[in-house]
Amino acid sequence: MFALSRRPDARALSAPRGVELPPSYLRSSLRIRGVLEAECELTIGGVVIGRIAALKLVIAPGGHVEGDIVAREVVIAGSLKGRVFAPTVAVEETAHIDGRIFHHTISVARGAHFDGRMPWRPISYFETLDQLPETQP
Amino acid sequence: MTIFNRNDKPADTGTSGAAPAPKPAAQPVAQPQAAAQPLSPPAKTGASMPSVISKALKITGQLESTEDIQIDGEIDGDVRGVGVKIGNNAKVKGTVYGDEVELAGTIDGKIEAKKVILNGTARMSGDVVHQDIKIESGAFIDGHLKPEFGKTASKSASVSTLKPVATTGTSPADKAAEARH
Repeated sequence: MFALSRRPDARALSAPRGVELPPSYLRSSLRIRGVLEAECELTIGGVVIGRIAALKLVIAPGGHVEGDIVAREVVIAGSLKGRVFAPTVAVEETAHIDGRIFHHTISVARGAHFDGRMPWRPISYFETLDQLPETQP
Repeated sequence: MTIFNRNDKPADTGTSGAAPAPKPAAQPVAQPQAAAQPLSPPAKTGASMPSVISKALKITGQLESTEDIQIDGEIDGDVRGVGVKIGNNAKVKGTVYGDEVELAGTIDGKIEAKKVILNGTARMSGDVVHQDIKIESGAFIDGHLKPEFGKTASKSASVSTLKPVATTGTSPADKAAEARH
C-alpha cells in the first residue's frame, strides 16, 4: 500500500538539513486526492485526502488533511483526521485533530481541539520509519 | 503560591524597570498576531497568488482548484484549475484542464483549455483541445491540436466534477483508528 513512498519517506527524514528546496504552498482553493511526496516544506491551506510525506508539513488554518502524515516536523493549525508520524510536532490553538500523533517532542497550544492519542516514540523509531505501522488498539 | 505569582512578578518589575518591559508586554501581543498572520495570507493573497507545487513535490492523484496553480514538480494524475502554469522542469502525466494553460515543461497526456500557450521548452505528448493556442518555436508536440474546446460538451466544463470519488487511500486505517478512540 505504501510501497510508492518508502524511498521518499526515508529521504525526507534523512536529507541534510542545509539543503533547502523551494517550499510548496497549496492554497485554500486547491483540493488534492492522492499521495504527496515532498522533499521540501509543504504548507496546506486547502484540502488533501491521502497520504503525505514531507520534510516539514504545515497545515494552515482552514487547511484540512485526511490521511497519514510522515514528516520530520509537523505544524498543525488546521484540521486533521488521521495519523501523524513526526519527531517534532506543534499543535496550534486553531487546530482540530481527530487521530493519533506519534511524536518525540510535541507542543499543544491552549484552545486546540484534540481527540485521540499522542504516543511518544524514541527518535530511532522515526529514523527507521520506512513503512507505516498498523496501529494496534 | 510563589509559583503562581512568578509570572506576575517579572511583569511588575518589567513595567517598572526600563529594559525588560517590552518582553512581557510583547508576548501577549505577539500571540494574537501569530494567530492572525496565518489567517490573513489565504484571504489576502488567495485570489492573486497561485498554489505552488515546487520541484521537490511529487503528487500521485488528482488536483482541483478554483484558482491558479503553478506546477514545478511532478504530477501523476489530472489537474483542474483556472490558470495552470507548468514550469520548465515540471512533469505532468495526465489531463490538464483549465481556462488558460501555459506549458514550459512536459505533459504526457492531454490539455483541455480555452487558451493554451506552449513555450519553447514545452514537450507535449498527447492531444491539445483548445480554442486559442500559441506555440513558440522549439516546442515539441506529439499529438493532435483540436480547436474544439467548448464545442463538444466535454468534461472540461466544470472544475468541481472530481468531488464524488469514494474515499480510498488510508480509509481503513482511519476508520479503525476512529473506532478505537
